[in-house]
Amino acid sequence: MGSSILQVTNLQKEYIGEITYKALNGIDFQLSENEFVAVMGPSGSGKTTFLNSVSTIDRPTAGEILINNRNPYSLDDEELAKFRRSELGFVFQDFNLVHTLTVKENILLPLTLDSLPAGKMQQRLKHVSQFLGIEELLPKRIYEISGGQKQRVAIARAVIHEPSLLLADEPTGNLDSKAVNDVMHLFSSIHTELKTSILMVTHDPYVASFANRIIFIKDGKLYNEIHRGHNRKQFYQEIMDTLAFLGGGQHEL
Amino acid sequence: MSFNHIVVQNILRDKWTYVSYFLSSMFSIIIFFLFTVIVFHPSLASLDPDSTLGLALMLASLLVYLFSFIYIAYSIMAFLKKKTKTLGIFMITGASMKQIRTLVFRENILIGVMAIIAAIILGLVIAPLFLMGAKVVLKAETFGMYLPIKAIGLTIGLFLVLFVVISKIMTRFINKEASIQLLKSDAVIEKSIRPHYLLLFISIIISAALAYLLKIDPDIVESLGVLYYTVFFVSVLSTIYLVISQGMRFLLKTFERSSAYMQRTNMLLASNLNAKMKSHANMLFLITLLLSGVFLSTSILFSSYYNVEKDSEANYPYSFQYIAPPKADPSKVEADIKNLEKQLSAVDSQKYFIEFKSNEKLRIGYMSISDYNLLHNEKVRLGANEVIAVAGNRKALPITDVSDDKYLKQFKLVSVNEKNLLTTGFQQTYFIVPDEVYNSIKYPVYKTYLFELDNWKAHIELAKKIIEDFPHIYEERYVTSKIELYDAEMLTKSVMFFIGSMLSLIFLSAAMSILYFYLQTTLLQEKEKYVGIRKLGLSKKELFTVVSKELAILIFVPFAIAITMLFATLFAMRTMVSITFLQVSMVSSLCFFALFFGSYIFIRKSYFKRLLSD
Repeated sequence: MGSSILQVTNLQKEYIGEITYKALNGIDFQLSENEFVAVMGPSGSGKTTFLNSVSTIDRPTAGEILINNRNPYSLDDEELAKFRRSELGFVFQDFNLVHTLTVKENILLPLTLDSLPAGKMQQRLKHVSQFLGIEELLPKRIYEISGGQKQRVAIARAVIHEPSLLLADEPTGNLDSKAVNDVMHLFSSIHTELKTSILMVTHDPYVASFANRIIFIKDGKLYNEIHRGHNRKQFYQEIMDTLAFLGGGQHEL
Repeated sequence: MSFNHIVVQNILRDKWTYVSYFLSSMFSIIIFFLFTVIVFHPSLASLDPDSTLGLALMLASLLVYLFSFIYIAYSIMAFLKKKTKTLGIFMITGASMKQIRTLVFRENILIGVMAIIAAIILGLVIAPLFLMGAKVVLKAETFGMYLPIKAIGLTIGLFLVLFVVISKIMTRFINKEASIQLLKSDAVIEKSIRPHYLLLFISIIISAALAYLLKIDPDIVESLGVLYYTVFFVSVLSTIYLVISQGMRFLLKTFERSSAYMQRTNMLLASNLNAKMKSHANMLFLITLLLSGVFLSTSILFSSYYNVEKDSEANYPYSFQYIAPPKADPSKVEADIKNLEKQLSAVDSQKYFIEFKSNEKLRIGYMSISDYNLLHNEKVRLGANEVIAVAGNRKALPITDVSDDKYLKQFKLVSVNEKNLLTTGFQQTYFIVPDEVYNSIKYPVYKTYLFELDNWKAHIELAKKIIEDFPHIYEERYVTSKIELYDAEMLTKSVMFFIGSMLSLIFLSAAMSILYFYLQTTLLQEKEKYVGIRKLGLSKKELFTVVSKELAILIFVPFAIAITMLFATLFAMRTMVSITFLQVSMVSSLCFFALFFGSYIFIRKSYFKRLLSD
């Protein structure tokens, strides 16, 4: 195991409203270099809040987050934007692609914001699109491609700047089963070949079984953690057992 | 739950969409109401409806009404577009097209009625202020507040009709396919503009040719009449549209190929413009037209306002001009002049007593060089058979051909003075001849007594009294005064000025609110898009840059085009317009620029704030 990419200490998040609601209640967590971790838990357990806090979208109420030993919440808006597009890669359930841009432009967006030299952009684009098998999609507009293709484009955009940490929020939530398979194999190869660390939230045990390690969150607290052995099928069974024990979420298969 | 309940709830639950529609309707109704309050003002009751003033007021009200029609129609369109998705949901849940139309119709009428009521209440509050402003500008003594029953009645009646008609027409535009399409995906993909460079070229050629024709050969234009102007208008409009849309397309495509495209926020900006090219182009076109109207009308109205003094002087060169025709009774003339001199004794003035002879049939005057020198305080000398031609009419050049003249056949024309000598139109041309020649001319003599007051604009009351004391009597005396003309013209021009400022203010705020509406309708989509990009790492500053540039293009491109057209027109007419006109245009353009810049800052700030709000 390499050094730690992400270090979370006593993370808390309260939503203050008519009824104050504690979404995260003291989470400690570490993610090492080149690790692939899935976060699971019943609906409302706080797993998305956890990911949003880590991804610097949602400021926590208390606790500390260090990504590559830097605290993103101490940065101002401009530095934070730069930090996001250099250190983090995002994959969302709803793809979050810009409709006004072509596929190619969408993938290059983080690089253009940093004004990389054109040659370097092309080189990275070529590399990433070959790796993800989306070369023929490049000139197309977003509304011309399917959901699975969209997610592949979004993944390309998330990894083109070689982030230290790839964050994925239900990346397969909007996809059919074949596309789920494709996308998850991509995640696996990004993990093994590009050596990118991945933190992924999912409610799907099959999707989670691609990870090395799974943490379970319940009621805003870390509940359990399981590691994958050599056999994915066996890992899947373990996940199912833990979920059954966890209760709260009847997962459709 | 009745149908009307849904109508009302549909409005209440979606307040903000309706509020902007309500406000823009109310705004145009208030403007119309205020105009009618002036038109029906008791102080103006004596005003002849056929006078320039009466006509101007009527025309302005008509224009405001027409404008309200277009503006409210546009607002409803924008508003319907925004509601399309909701309507789609209604359709899916089983509402028939007829029910949807009824729903939209009732909504519009409800808002319309509320807008009318609110506008009249607000209008009654503003009216005293407005009348006070009008009083100052019009220099009227009595222009107080009154109960404008007629104005209220007319406003309610006309706008009720307007809302019923527009709502009926607009409900025909509800598109079933588009609504259902929107349910499937939020993003409406616009077709981009296709290249039509040849068409652009042709329309520019046609417009330029027509404009050139107007300049070089006004006679042909006159013979073609309305047809020419219609064709010219249409061709200019289509040229403007093509220049905007094709220009935008060309620039964007060029920019896309440049190396700067992939740098910083350029790609985001360009793709925004690209994706909405068509609606942006329509928007720019609409604003350009409104602005051109504003600029042209203000330039003309403001400059005519500032030209009144020169204009009066050009028509009636002297403070008082008393012409005694040949048949006048000399003793009566003497008494008149004595009386006049007595009345003018209190003020500093120069007097010139001169005469000219007139060929009454051709209305050509002859004046001796001594009298001419006296008038102009000059010492021009003329040879024995030399003649000077001087204009007798403000707008017509003097006759320069003396070969047919009974007395001046062999004479040589040495100079031409295009400045009007006496009251415009009294004679067609004056020939200035040597004194001996003058004495030999046997035409009836017109004795002319001229008085020029120092600082003449300060003696309006005196002039009014004198003109009253010495009315025009055919074949006995002709009295004119530039002071009195100035005063009369000033009132008309003040009203025009007032109307002009009001109209340009209306057009200007219309341009801005159309823009605001346009931004409103796309706000949600834009917001969603930027929230997504912000997550990837777009700082507020970068977002601000994109928004600033996009808005700047929407606001300042029409401004630049309109200003360019204004100055191109002025340049083409440079021989016909005075320096004042140019100066006034400059100043008013600068004022508009300031106004625009202010609106830009304001719109940008509020738009940016709303983009970022949750």
